[in-house]
Amino acid sequence: MKKNLIIPVMGVVVLAVCVLFYLNQTTDRNNKQEEISNLVFETPDFYDNEFIDEKAMGEFYVVNFFASWCKPCLAEHPLLMEMKKQGIKIIGVNFRDDEENFKEWIKEHGNPFEHILRDDGTIAYEMGLIGVPETYFIKNKIIQKKIQGPLFYEDIEQYL
Amino acid sequence: MKISSNIYKLIIIFITIHVSAISFAGVNELSDYFKTIRCLVCEGQSIQESDTEFAINLKEQIQKKYNSGMTVNEIDVELVKIYGEEISFNPQKNHYLLWGTPLIILFIIFIFIRNKIKFFKKT
Repeated sequence: MKKNLIIPVMGVVVLAVCVLFYLNQTTDRNNKQEEISNLVFETPDFYDNEFIDEKAMGEFYVVNFFASWCKPCLAEHPLLMEMKKQGIKIIGVNFRDDEENFKEWIKEHGNPFEHILRDDGTIAYEMGLIGVPETYFIKNKIIQKKIQGPLFYEDIEQYL
Repeated sequence: MKISSNIYKLIIIFITIHVSAISFAGVNELSDYFKTIRCLVCEGQSIQESDTEFAINLKEQIQKKYNSGMTVNEIDVELVKIYGEEISFNPQKNHYLLWGTPLIILFIIFIFIRNKIKFFKKT
């Protein structure tokens, strides 16, 4: 190899190694499988005041964060009702909401949830929630998919 | 008798000042920390400046963790684990590669040009 080519080639090799190292780091983070927070099963159901039986939920279920003050939650509500009709179990987590408003909201729009948990923000923090609505598709306790913002038909059609 | 009661008063005043100083230090430490946490639903704001539901909840949760005895560093590690590095204005990982790559490229270009000049001078 020509002497004057050694340094540039070495530089390119160092750069290539750095880029590969960086790409490997990014892939590791993307492949990290996140589990659903145990707090979901350690918080009593709002209606029957009992903890959710994890086995009874089956291997696939959905966790949906909602609030009565959240307008986009209302937009996705018919889709949640449709999911319920199709037999998909949904755990509703009512995020930082007034109890009376929440009860009124459910009464008015219908209840698509198998269980409802009232959350002061602790479950949301543990799950890494950015805002409501937010929906997690869970299989064998692992979060398969996370939708931030309202659900659209395309998001759920594969499960219907 | 009067002297001893004065001593008691002094001790009580001292303890009160000390406790207030400690709690103010805690408040200052937390509000300084809030300034380093990015509000993920705002544009370029920290949770200290933001009034969004996300920021309010995060501040409350961090306050709870702090009151339960967690240090700011422990909370920071937990936050990054949950929300990823983008949550912090002071990333934990060092980004030498990010800052170093342009320098490496400049160095390669410099060597390349220098060699070319040498080559042309020779010929």
